[in-house]
Amino acid sequence: MTAEPPVTYVETQLRRRRRLLLPVAIVLALLALIGLVVVVLGLVAVMRLAVNRPQVFPDIVAHFEHGSIGADQSSGIPFWVWQALPRLFPAEFDGRLDYRAFGFLYNTDAHGRQESLPIGISKRDFQGVDLVWFNCAVCHTGTYRTSEGAARVMVPGMPSNNLNLYGFIRFILDAGVDERLKPDRLIPAMQAAGANLGIIDRQVWRFVVIPRMREGFIERRSRLQPFLAEQQPWGPGRVDTFNPYKLVQMDMLLGAIAPDERHGASDFPSIFNQKPREGMQLHWDGNNSSLDERNLSAALGAGVTPETVDHAAIKRVKEWVGELHPPRSPHQVDPAAAERGRAIYMNACAVCHGYQGPDRYVFEGAKLGTVEANSTLGTDPGRLDSYTEAFRQRQLAELFAGTPFQFKHFVKTNGYANMPLDALWLRGPYLHNGSVPTLRDLLAPPAERPSAFVRGIDIVDGKNGGFLSPSCTPGRRPPQGFCYDTRLPGNGNGGHTFGTTLPATEKEDLIAYLLTF
Amino acid sequence: MSEDVIFSPLKFRNLTVKNRIFRSNISGRFDNEDGSLTQTRINWECKFAAGGVGAIISSYVPVLMEGRIIADYATVHRDDFIPLWERLGAAVHRFDCKYIMQLSHSGRQMDFPGVHNSHRPALSSTSRKESLHGFLCRAASKAEIDHLVEAFAAGAWRAREAGLDGVELHAANGYLFTQFLSSGINDRTDEYGGLLQNRARFLLEVIRAIRARVGRGFHLQVKLSAVDRNNVIPWEKKGNVLADTIEVAKWCESEGADAIHVSTGSLFPHPLNPPGDFSFETIATTYDAMISSGVDAFRNFLLFRYRLLRPIFRWIWFRMKKGLPIEGVSLEEARAIKANVTVPVLNTGGYQTASFIRSGITSGAFDGVAIARSLVANNDLVQQWAMGRDLPERPCTYCNKCLLNAPKNPMGCYELARFPSREAMIDELMTIYATRPTLNLPPVASAQAA
Repeated sequence: MTAEPPVTYVETQLRRRRRLLLPVAIVLALLALIGLVVVVLGLVAVMRLAVNRPQVFPDIVAHFEHGSIGADQSSGIPFWVWQALPRLFPAEFDGRLDYRAFGFLYNTDAHGRQESLPIGISKRDFQGVDLVWFNCAVCHTGTYRTSEGAARVMVPGMPSNNLNLYGFIRFILDAGVDERLKPDRLIPAMQAAGANLGIIDRQVWRFVVIPRMREGFIERRSRLQPFLAEQQPWGPGRVDTFNPYKLVQMDMLLGAIAPDERHGASDFPSIFNQKPREGMQLHWDGNNSSLDERNLSAALGAGVTPETVDHAAIKRVKEWVGELHPPRSPHQVDPAAAERGRAIYMNACAVCHGYQGPDRYVFEGAKLGTVEANSTLGTDPGRLDSYTEAFRQRQLAELFAGTPFQFKHFVKTNGYANMPLDALWLRGPYLHNGSVPTLRDLLAPPAERPSAFVRGIDIVDGKNGGFLSPSCTPGRRPPQGFCYDTRLPGNGNGGHTFGTTLPATEKEDLIAYLLTF
Repeated sequence: MSEDVIFSPLKFRNLTVKNRIFRSNISGRFDNEDGSLTQTRINWECKFAAGGVGAIISSYVPVLMEGRIIADYATVHRDDFIPLWERLGAAVHRFDCKYIMQLSHSGRQMDFPGVHNSHRPALSSTSRKESLHGFLCRAASKAEIDHLVEAFAAGAWRAREAGLDGVELHAANGYLFTQFLSSGINDRTDEYGGLLQNRARFLLEVIRAIRARVGRGFHLQVKLSAVDRNNVIPWEKKGNVLADTIEVAKWCESEGADAIHVSTGSLFPHPLNPPGDFSFETIATTYDAMISSGVDAFRNFLLFRYRLLRPIFRWIWFRMKKGLPIEGVSLEEARAIKANVTVPVLNTGGYQTASFIRSGITSGAFDGVAIARSLVANNDLVQQWAMGRDLPERPCTYCNKCLLNAPKNPMGCYELARFPSREAMIDELMTIYATRPTLNLPPVASAQAA
């Protein structure tokens, strides 16, 4: 159809102008459309990038076990990667699709199904990606059994006697450079684990999330791997608190850490009854007398940064564990022997450690919570030496400086703190580095203490105290657990010779009393 | 004889006007499409003559159909219109009022091209579109300029033949003469462009041609814009300054002009002509009639129609008014021109106060004033002054609604506040349409009559 000619000269010119401007108008319209799409995508991206939403748990135990303290945001890995790793690395996970191979513990839901994340792992939606990582419970939830066939009992607040943190960290760092984490393999594994990714999400994961995650792994690996390679495996229930801290938080190079500082692996502590500990010299070496600073320092170890730490979440845990009482000892002892043992204990031990009353632990003792010089104690100096004055100075200057959370209470000590012994039955093996398997062994002269024994069995030892810890041969993997070799640096079982010279009967009485703690 | 200078006669070389008040050029769409004037125009002009003005300057009268500003305005492009103008002149003369025909050509400033002109661009000094509405145009050739000159001379001759009292060349306010005169508009490179002498050439040729046609004994005055202020649209050039116009006025006098009529602004309407307010609510309802007239008119309609956009035009329009009065907006410019010519000078621009006019005359700023809006508001303004009032009882508010209604509605005062009711306002508007039973019957062919 022929267009009707324009009636007026103005219309003629307008029609000509429109014809001339049509290509420009089309280009402008396209640009506007593209601009609109960019703006919409930008808004979607901004809204997505603005998301920072941790899971919230009204129940305090659930909060302890899965609530975020901020480590997931700064150190976490994507939830769907967490779920995919067992599928990609079946050998490291003993063929299981969960993390029990590394000693992680799981709750079951109301239907008896295992939860998707283990205890001590929190989840946060950060910038549209669910991230998971540690919280307090990962190092402070353990299990015990009263016998081989008895049901396993999980105890929040006791040391994580099963957790092989060294093995887990080495696995994660190695996985970061493993080709199985390339998007072509990782994304299908994530989908097999249940991830439902759209086309755009797949591209975001392929080109943004996974490369960023792997970069993070590689960076952290470059820091930690030389150190971990030099250390012997810590074994379950143990961690080197400050050395990774130096490498990751302080960006120190391994060469800047003196050789005698590098063996700080120690047992996870229990965290029952924290309120009575306020003012005591905390940490194994007693280097801090502030519960808040001790907690914040521990959170840094779990992976928070000064920017991501959730102080309110940590405070909530602090208030709860302040009055968290341990379960009573299940051990049956001769009351008369225990009473005799109590007399011995009150005479020789209570001044440093407090004592167990009929109903609760009594945090009284002239030297309770103070540091005993290691020249007197003679226990392994590895943990003590791993914390240095130079490191303290850097903590003071670099972490939370200028905020109310600045570390002002850390000190460099010359020994180990006299710890309260509440929940002693759940705290084996003993001494700061877990080098002495049972209470009975601790009352033996150092030369007679086992030089190698199995850690990681959660059956309590009602005769000797602590957990069943059969002897083993270093270098040979025991049928279950981990063979702890006291001859390795940092693992020494010497020192704390108090009570070693008691007559055998008095030792039996003292053990009977200690079994009630 | 009155001692009041306002009521003292103003003597030109060839014309004496009984007082100093001229009805300035203003009108409505009263006439026929072919350019013949109507009873309505006679009624309109007589309102002012009866009101006591000394002379009426007709509204814009095109000398050619292609130079109409607005269709339905009377033209003087045909000899057979002479009797019509004669009738109008006679009607006005009954009130001892002179009648001066304003000879005009729109050039590119053609608001309503009408059926005669809508199919072609208007002739102008330039081919650049008009800045405010986007009216289209084409630069006239030398032959076309000669034709235009001749058309003005013929128009003056027809006015004289009709017994009218003189002519005024509308060389102000953006019409064709301004388009040649203004350095902000004229972009020619021939003898009609460039230097001021070249830009004035067309106007001076017209004056010479008129004098050649009608002789020295017929009144001829020239209306000039003292200052162009052509940059209403901010990126336009400013155009002529006062010194340019003084030169042009002197040249006009040399060529035989009997008076200079001083206005301002190189387009119409202009923020300073007519000075006063700008009613967006009014223009929003009338400007749609002009959308098809210019390539930028729709843009303007949007600026007028939508409140969110109005601040843009408000800024454009009102920024030039700052610091300037409404009444006597170009008084000082008139004074400067009068100081440089020997012929009488008229001035226009919001005059309404007798004492102010009196002072202007006695101080030598001008010899008389031309008034449009204030007389539209009060046709008997001069009589009110004669009775001793300094300002009329219900003065013009300078709302400019008369101007802004022009695209669609009858010319008249639309300031409701000046009337007891809307009906009274309409009645006043309708007074000019009073027809008289002198309608002719069209002839019947003889065969049909049988």
